[in-house]
Amino acid sequence: MKTRTLAIECLRYDPQTDAAPRYQTYEVPFTDEMSVLEGLQYIKDHLDGSLTFRWSCRMAICGSCGGMLNGVPKLSCESFLRDYYPEGVRIEPLNHFPIQRDLAIDQGDFLLKLRSVKPYLIPEAPKPVSEGTYLQTPQQLDDYYQYSKCINCLLCYAACPQYGLDREFTGPGALALLHRYNADSRDAGKAERMELVNADEGVWGCTLVSYCSEVCPKGVDPARAVNQNKVESTKDYFLRFVAPRRNT
Amino acid sequence: MQVIQSDVVIIGGGGAGLRAAIAACERDSRLRVALVSKVVPMRSHTVAAEGGAAGVTRGDDSLQYHFDDTVSGGDWLCDQSAVEYFVAHCHEELVRLEHWGCPWGRQADGNVNVRFFGGMKVPRTWFAADRSGFHILHTLFQTSLKYPGIKRYDEYFCVEVIVDDGRVRGVLAIEVASGELVVIESPAVVLCTGGAGRVYRQNTNAGTVTGDGMGLAFRAGVPLRDMEFMQYHPTCLPGTGILMTEACRGEGAILVNKDGYRYLQDYGLGPLDPWPRVKAMELGPRDRLSQAFWHEMKKGRTIATPQGPAVHLDLRHLGAKKIHERLPLIAEAAHTFSGVDAVKEPIPVCPAVHYTMGGILTNVRCETPLPGLYAAGECASVGIHGANRLGSNSLTELVVFGRVAGEQAAHFALGAPRRAGSVLRLAQPTADRMLAMLRTEQGERLAAVRDEMRDSMEAGAGIYRTKEGIEETCRKLAELRSRYRRGIRLDDRGRAFNTEWLTAIELGNMLEVAQALAHSALERRESRGAHMRLDHEARDDVNFLKHSLACRRGEEPPRIDYMPVTITKSSPRARVYGGEGKQAVLT
Amino acid sequence: MKTYMRPMTGWWRRNPFYLWYTLREWSSFFLTAYALVLLYGLARLSEGEAQYEAWRASLASPGSLVFHAAALLLVLYHAWTWFKVMHKTLPFLRLGGRRVPDPAIFGSGVASAVVLSLLLLWVLA
Repeated sequence: MKTRTLAIECLRYDPQTDAAPRYQTYEVPFTDEMSVLEGLQYIKDHLDGSLTFRWSCRMAICGSCGGMLNGVPKLSCESFLRDYYPEGVRIEPLNHFPIQRDLAIDQGDFLLKLRSVKPYLIPEAPKPVSEGTYLQTPQQLDDYYQYSKCINCLLCYAACPQYGLDREFTGPGALALLHRYNADSRDAGKAERMELVNADEGVWGCTLVSYCSEVCPKGVDPARAVNQNKVESTKDYFLRFVAPRRNT
Repeated sequence: MQVIQSDVVIIGGGGAGLRAAIAACERDSRLRVALVSKVVPMRSHTVAAEGGAAGVTRGDDSLQYHFDDTVSGGDWLCDQSAVEYFVAHCHEELVRLEHWGCPWGRQADGNVNVRFFGGMKVPRTWFAADRSGFHILHTLFQTSLKYPGIKRYDEYFCVEVIVDDGRVRGVLAIEVASGELVVIESPAVVLCTGGAGRVYRQNTNAGTVTGDGMGLAFRAGVPLRDMEFMQYHPTCLPGTGILMTEACRGEGAILVNKDGYRYLQDYGLGPLDPWPRVKAMELGPRDRLSQAFWHEMKKGRTIATPQGPAVHLDLRHLGAKKIHERLPLIAEAAHTFSGVDAVKEPIPVCPAVHYTMGGILTNVRCETPLPGLYAAGECASVGIHGANRLGSNSLTELVVFGRVAGEQAAHFALGAPRRAGSVLRLAQPTADRMLAMLRTEQGERLAAVRDEMRDSMEAGAGIYRTKEGIEETCRKLAELRSRYRRGIRLDDRGRAFNTEWLTAIELGNMLEVAQALAHSALERRESRGAHMRLDHEARDDVNFLKHSLACRRGEEPPRIDYMPVTITKSSPRARVYGGEGKQAVLT
Repeated sequence: MKTYMRPMTGWWRRNPFYLWYTLREWSSFFLTAYALVLLYGLARLSEGEAQYEAWRASLASPGSLVFHAAALLLVLYHAWTWFKVMHKTLPFLRLGGRRVPDPAIFGSGVASAVVLSLLLLWVLA
């Protein structure tokens, strides 16, 4: 049986030698089960060891391998070469992030945004381990669980044009994690996080494009997490005239 | 080269590394803790663990039961004092994770739920859907952001633990983005670098699991213990090796061969009824299940798939609701990577390398023989897994021993005198050697050496081993090490974000670790746990109730020594699963 | 190490999803324009029957018909997309312990719009 090959066109950029990105195409023989990631690995092993891309788990749980595949943000480990045959696929690094090298982008801004939302449990009072676990019913778990599935793959940031236009925007992923903690029955940190929520770079930077939720590989629905908090933010704004904010 | 000052350096940002970093900061908030990881922490392989974390919880459970399950699961090669410490601290650490926000699965009354796992007498495995490792890792990572004492060095690849005069001085690392070499000077270093499953071709592991920390410790003069014990997980997707968690079987899934027959009953794990039953049939330990597959394959009773022989993991009788609630990731992965709808069809599975029971020699305080060097997690051999690990013991191991390592390292750092003498001078030879790799003109392609290693390991150091098979692998590995030394020619000669260079360095670590594994396997002339010899089929407690120690001898193959196993409460018995019993209630 | 930032110019043209989004946003101009036309009509009404009839006659011009056809389509699109994202502004709704599925929220939005429109038409007719 004749082996099929696919043209994989990759963005290349080496900060030490290139002023701007360029493109390079490789002909890759493939089988039906091969993922796009495996195609990239084939290139690196056999055709061009200098092609640089991030990857790790191969099963869409670590969030390393995100890229633009024909202009759409996807995880390369769960995208398949057979779906791009015979036209081929163009692979570029995730949009809206600075390119470090080839398909690898600088994740630093996301890590800063993540830190800024205080993504940890802020309980009402310290609870010693000897007291055992908090009680949390399956329904209470269901209230936030969906938002805790975020693998930090940054596809939503690549999808969000508001983040692309203004990098001050906290962005879908970090705001979804903010909501995940606010909605956790064990957390009492809503007031502490409210200042960020209310800001322009908080939920008000979002215009409900909703492409983030469309591309999210884990069904987190960050658009929902962000926009529910617009109601919260509005309530908070009006309530402060009625009841002064408790000092946190 | 830049020199950074620190008090504690932790290599590896997975479950153990993050827990150690938090523990060191809680021990003393003034400590400067450097968390050095070759990937951003949430990419660490802890993220892929699925099934759950064990800890004595229910009223009908006890520390003695968990101890017994673990020691017999390890085929009596466990250091029982370490197991005693471990089982006594599991529950506390799992509660602490819950306090930090981990979304553990719950019962209707709001208490944490537990499920059965292979080889366990009583359900004690805490779980977060079937993404337990993912949730534990993200909980630890997000919680670690609260501690200002932790300074992260994301995407820094550690290439050497600097030792001078028998003491740890710090580490040498490559900053991946720029290719610059950096020294972090510190009296205490904790290795939390994970296992070495990528030395085999078919495995469940991420690309990062290359035994780097084991290589670092090995080159610093620390022995690698019990390396011959590599766990094959019995249920993985053929070809990719993607893991189908043991939790499937904990929820009641069954394994059948090409005739639809539940073959495990032929291998000492039966009888069939009543089903389900603790420690019987599909709830038996991983080594037994993988070995049963091998026998079925030899008998021609496995199903031929384009990716190789497989058996069927059947979840259909669990029903759509239970599958989507308790095993959502499995359903997604089976569909995406195998095109199978787990609700309607059985999933083809086969064994693949999954976990490294052996590793860097430590005592129960996570101390290696080198003062100032600690290790925790899969990269370490603290002695709790013995010859075969029970599922869901390793996630709890990360937090129990991650904490111990962090506290011990912190304590050591607070008391350690600052040594004089230039750390830069000590690091220069390795730095030069690393940079020389970029200039090699004559040499082989990296992939060629790597693929030959992986194929040889599958062939000679697989589920069943023979003298001739392992000897051939040992010979091959010696040849590959010499070819590696002669030179790997890289396509990528630049410094900026050169992942081909890093992969070549990882290959060096893998070859050394593989050689330690193969030689340890050759010398152990018995069958125990995950190490099965066709030419020595029985367990030999008279001659081999001892740990193997691989000791580095430069470019020569390692010397294999032995050390005694610590037996306290449980003397070696026959390792029995299956048998009669009551029907268990699955939660 | 230096990095490279790609420009955002023309972003809205690069992906069909963005094109539809941009159309949705621009449809608000038509919505506003139509509202102004109605307001103007209301003002004419307050000036007396002759003025009102004159305004109504002007609506029959070909230009006006084209505008109204486009406006109707875009207002319907605007309403459709509005209902599509409506569930994103709501917390999880539960009925009898089970979560109300998002398509049901969309469906009930569309259904109420249809019912109210029919009611209005009936009242006016």
